[in-house]
Amino acid sequence: MTNLKYAALLAGALVLALPGQLPAQDGEAGVEPGIDAGVDAVPAAAGNEFRSIDEDVQSLKAEVLELNRDLFLLEEELLFPANSQVAFFLSVDVGTYFALDSVSLKIDGKEVANYLYTDREADALMRGGVQRLHMENLKVGDHELVAVFTGFGPHEREYRRGATVNLSKGLGAKYVELAITDRAAKQQPEFDVREWE
Amino acid sequence: MTLPRASSVLLWALLLTAAGNASADKPKTTTVVEDPHYGEVLFHFYQEDYFPAIVRLLAAKSRSRLPHHDAEAELLLGGLYLSYGHHLRAAEIFERLLADSVDPSVRDRTWFFLARIWQQRGYLDESFAALANIEDELPGSMEAERHLLRAQLLIDRGDHGRAIELLQGFRDRTEWASYARFNLGVALVKDGQTDAASRILDELGQLDPWTDELSALRDKANLALGYAYLQAGEARAAKRPLQRVRLNGPFSNKALLGVGWADAQRDDYGRALVPWMELRYRSLLDPAVQESMLAVPYAMAKLDSISQAADHYLDAVEAFEEENRRIDATIEALDSGRLLSGFLADNANATTGWHWRLEELPPGAESRYLYHLLASHEFQEGLKNFRDLDYLARNLERWRGSLAVFRNMLDTRVRAYEERLPRVTASLGRADLEQKVDRKLAFDSRLDSIERNRDSLALANEREFALWGEIAALEQVPALQAQIPEAEDLRRKVRLLKGVLQWELDREFKERLWRLRRDVRQTGEALVKTQRSRRRVDESMRKEPESFASFAERIESIDPQIRDLRARIDAAMDRQRGFLQSIAVGEMQAQKERLQAYSVQARFALAAIYDLAATTTTAEASR
Repeated sequence: MTNLKYAALLAGALVLALPGQLPAQDGEAGVEPGIDAGVDAVPAAAGNEFRSIDEDVQSLKAEVLELNRDLFLLEEELLFPANSQVAFFLSVDVGTYFALDSVSLKIDGKEVANYLYTDREADALMRGGVQRLHMENLKVGDHELVAVFTGFGPHEREYRRGATVNLSKGLGAKYVELAITDRAAKQQPEFDVREWE
Repeated sequence: MTLPRASSVLLWALLLTAAGNASADKPKTTTVVEDPHYGEVLFHFYQEDYFPAIVRLLAAKSRSRLPHHDAEAELLLGGLYLSYGHHLRAAEIFERLLADSVDPSVRDRTWFFLARIWQQRGYLDESFAALANIEDELPGSMEAERHLLRAQLLIDRGDHGRAIELLQGFRDRTEWASYARFNLGVALVKDGQTDAASRILDELGQLDPWTDELSALRDKANLALGYAYLQAGEARAAKRPLQRVRLNGPFSNKALLGVGWADAQRDDYGRALVPWMELRYRSLLDPAVQESMLAVPYAMAKLDSISQAADHYLDAVEAFEEENRRIDATIEALDSGRLLSGFLADNANATTGWHWRLEELPPGAESRYLYHLLASHEFQEGLKNFRDLDYLARNLERWRGSLAVFRNMLDTRVRAYEERLPRVTASLGRADLEQKVDRKLAFDSRLDSIERNRDSLALANEREFALWGEIAALEQVPALQAQIPEAEDLRRKVRLLKGVLQWELDREFKERLWRLRRDVRQTGEALVKTQRSRRRVDESMRKEPESFASFAERIESIDPQIRDLRARIDAAMDRQRGFLQSIAVGEMQAQKERLQAYSVQARFALAAIYDLAATTTTAEASR
């Protein structure tokens, strides 16, 4: 019921609207405690001050995001020059009963990635997200890719599936998508590999 | 730019996330990911890691990596900005995209969420304008919330008349009707129509609540009404609503205090002591409890229990002083920045989002005084900004560290290139491609000549060529030239041999010529490839230093940007910290002033009691 919260906050204003003191209490002890609404209003000037700071923050966010974009690209282009770059992506297109646990990747016999998924990551993949699993510099020519995933199906049944693919690396960047999919006739999750030059 | 239908679904998913409902309701978008980089952005977005998602989206757009998701990418960016709390940039995108290209219902909902963010951030005019952009009825509770939001904005603007009109015309069958009634009460009070407000509060104070929030609303209405009656001196009327407040709700302390005052107003101090004594065992942080510490001895004095009253006043003075010292310590912790840093400690490394809220204060004696600041938009939104700035500062520090690594990497690449260059140049020099091309061309003309002259001997293999040579030599042997039958026989045999060899050579000629031409053609193709590679190597040798220079320039240009941004972030953090501290310290000062006032009242009352006792003793003695 988060939607109700702001209305509840608004409701607080009424208590503010009815502050005041009880009529003075007479008496020998001379005590005249008042009735305090107990909610202090933020001074009006605070709103302007907040907005001014907020506008600063908005502008800084924009600049830092743009700088991050530049740095992200700089890092990528420096570490993985376009003529040797190969990016491996992982996607999942299976029924909700399948829980992805891990993916490992070998290129030309050398293990380059071994990834264990958190629930949050697995969930993001199930919802259509695509993970950039690994980036690699590969020479022009043929390479062997071995990918293995593990996970759990219905009734905690453990899955372990692999795929071996021969990749041909040409000039220019290459993207490889490893899709875990159960669209095949067997209705069991399998790897489906797509390549882009 | 037109947006596909799928974009509406995507935007709806974005808005749900921006509204903080992502974990409760996770819609799976119907968008089929065509570009992996687009999917990568979604991967981070679905994990609510908005900052990295935005960075990846900006990077992918700048490198044209989203050819299949052009329109959606822009919308996604708007949604990500919204989720991240970068609301001004989000609004720019939505204003551009939502004009006439999206499902109207999604467009309306987008404006609604923007209005809500802006209202919370104090951008009231913008919030008002966003609400005005909504054309049709919103689904579910959003429609009710829209009306209440608009009414609140009107009240904030001081336009109570229109707020009253709006709320009076509001019809709803859900709990929103109760909130609207309550807010109508607020508007009426602010408009000076207290009688009308009282009727509404009385009605709300008797509602049968079916949720916790409605119970709290009912309590609040009763409390407000009770205190309004107390102020008007109508003690009997005040008790009824005050007694309707739950005994253990957030308003129970204030209600108990009020009930006591209602009795006290009617001079029934004995009865007043019952709720006030109950308050003595509750948290002294609550001003109602603090006030009860004065109210109890006040009632006792009224009941002539002077000695007990004096004891209670002494207890109160001591408790107020102790509390005062604690508040001073809290102010000191606030001034030193220690307390605010504690607010950042939780999930400091997590990315930020608009729907983040500080739900619990960090442990420690000092933070307990700040509880009701958590309900204030200014404090929460300010804290969010402070947290965002802290995240930006740490992000830039990480990159600053990376820049040194980038420089090293670039140096290594430059050195490796410079080491390789002489070897490559020497090897290329040895290759002499031009000479190889000339040879290939010479082969071509030779083959042309062979074909033209049908020079089958030119294509003979080694054995045949040797045989041909032997036959030619035999033909030149003088003995064979003799005009004798034996020589004639041998000449005939030699001619036969030569004829057979010539026949074989002629028979093989076409095939041999074809094979040779094929081999030469393949050689030519290989030479062309080699020439291309050579050109690439030449180009690379020419471009590589340029590329190194460009990388170096990019690295060096970023360094001052980071320094400049860091300085501005630090300055903004100082301002934000100062703002939060001023709210918090202001709150502390108000508590201090209240305690001091109570303390003065207690001391004054004690003095009065001592005076009274002294006067009584003197009078008795003189008698």
